[in-house]
Amino acid sequence: MLELSGLALDAPDGRRLLEGLDLAVPSGGNHLVTGPSGCGKSRLLRVIAGTERPAAGRVRVGGRDVWPGDGALGLAGRVRVGFAFASGGLLSNLTLRENLALPLRFLGMAPKEVEARVDEAMACLGLEPVASLRPHAVSASARRHGNLARVIALDPELILLDDPLEGLDAADRATALAVIGRWAEDPEKTLLIALEAPGPFAEVAPGRLDLRPLPPVLETP
Amino acid sequence: MAFLARLGAPVRGFLEFLGDQAHLVLRTLRHALLLRTNQFGVVGGQLRLQVRFTGLDALWLIAGTALLLGAVTLIQAFSQLSGLGAENYIGTLMVLIILRELGPLLTAVLVIGRSATAIAAELGAMQLNGEVDALAAHGVNPYQYLLLPRWLGVLVSVFVLVVCFDAAALAGGFLVAKLKYGVTFGFFMESVRQALSNRDFAATLLKVFLFSGAITFHACHFGLGIHRSQTEIPQAVTKTVVSALVAVFSLDGLIAALLYF
Repeated sequence: MLELSGLALDAPDGRRLLEGLDLAVPSGGNHLVTGPSGCGKSRLLRVIAGTERPAAGRVRVGGRDVWPGDGALGLAGRVRVGFAFASGGLLSNLTLRENLALPLRFLGMAPKEVEARVDEAMACLGLEPVASLRPHAVSASARRHGNLARVIALDPELILLDDPLEGLDAADRATALAVIGRWAEDPEKTLLIALEAPGPFAEVAPGRLDLRPLPPVLETP
Repeated sequence: MAFLARLGAPVRGFLEFLGDQAHLVLRTLRHALLLRTNQFGVVGGQLRLQVRFTGLDALWLIAGTALLLGAVTLIQAFSQLSGLGAENYIGTLMVLIILRELGPLLTAVLVIGRSATAIAAELGAMQLNGEVDALAAHGVNPYQYLLLPRWLGVLVSVFVLVVCFDAAALAGGFLVAKLKYGVTFGFFMESVRQALSNRDFAATLLKVFLFSGAITFHACHFGLGIHRSQTEIPQAVTKTVVSALVAVFSLDGLIAALLYF
C-alpha cells in the first residue's frame, strides 16, 4: 500500500529533517511513526498524503506515484486516503456535518448513502449534538473528533493519524482509541499513526519507525 | 554589474509571476476538463455562492454608481455639445465614454475592491488553517472545488455587472438629457444605436473574459501563496488589489490599441 524510498524532508528553515528513508507498509499493515517534537513526523504524513513535496525521494501509495508526481491530485478518485490532522483541517465555512459529507459528495456518492455514512460517523463519536455547528463553535475535542469522523465516513484504504489523542480528555480518548482499534484490526485498512511515544498504540501497530533529529551540519571555516 | 542585477531582479520576478499565473490558469483548465458529471452539484454550489456574492450583492452598488456616472457625464458634456450645436453626437459620447471604456473598467475596479480582496483573504485563511491541504488529502480537488467555481462565478458576475452598469449609465444619461434638455427616448436611443458597432460588443466580451480571469487568478495566486502567518493575509490582499488593477488597466489599454488604434 505504501512505499517510500530514499525520502528526504526539509524543515521550512531549510534544515534537513530526514535523509534516505525507506519504508514499505503492506496493505492492511499498521505502523507507528514516533520521535520527539520537530523531527518531521507530521511533515512525513503530509508528504505521504501528497499535500507537501519532499526534498528528494519517491512516494507510492496504492501502487500510484505520489512523488515525483501530482501529489494528492494523483490519488484523487483512485486511492482513498483519510487524514486526521493534529490541528485545523476542517473547513471553517461548513458545519461539521457538511465537512464530513463534502469528500463523499465529491466522490459522486448518492445523497442517501452520504447521509447514512455521515449519520453513522457522527453517532460513532457522539457528535450529533454539534453536527450543525461550524468548527469554530465547537470544543477542541469535538474538532479532533470531527477529523476522525470524516475519516470514518470516507472509509479510506490508507489512514493517516497525526497525534490522534492530543488534547482529548479520558472519555474522548477512550472513544478515539476504540475507533482506531477497529481500524487496526481491519485487514483492508492501512494505518499510519504519528506521535511522540507509542503509549496506548504499542500493541495496536506492530510496525514502528522511530525518527531521530539529524545531527546539525557543522561548517568549517 | 550591480546596476544590471538591480535591473534584472524585478524583471525576473515579473516573469516568474507571469509563469505562475499561466500555470494556475492552465492547471485550472485541465482539471475543469476532468470534472465528472456527478461532481457538478458540489462545484455548482460553490459557483452559486460566488455569483451571489460577486454579482447579485454588488448589483445595487454598480447600478447606483453607473446611474450617477451616466448623469454626470451627460451634464458635463451636453453643455459643450449644445454650445457647438452637436446634440446629435450625444450617443457617440455615451458609447465612447461609458459603454466602450468606463463600463467594463469601473466594473472591474469595483469587483477587485469587493471580491478579489475577499477571495484572496478567504483562500489565505484556508491555506493557513490547513483547509486546502485537507481538501486535497481527502480527494477534493482544490482546482475544481476552489479555483474553477470562483473563476466562473466572477466571469458570470462581471458580465452581468457590465451589462447592468451600461444600462444604468445610459438610464442616468437619458434622465438628464430628458429633464434638462427635453431629449426624447427615441432620439437618445437611436443616437446610441448609431454609435454602437459590433466591434464594441466584441471588445466588451473580450474585456469581460480577460478582466474576470485576471481578477480571479491574481486573488488566487496571492491568497494561496500564504503559508506562514496571519499577518500575510492583509499583505496578500493589498498585493491582489494593486496587481489586479495594473493587470486590468494594462489589458484595457492593450484591447483599445488592438481594436481601435
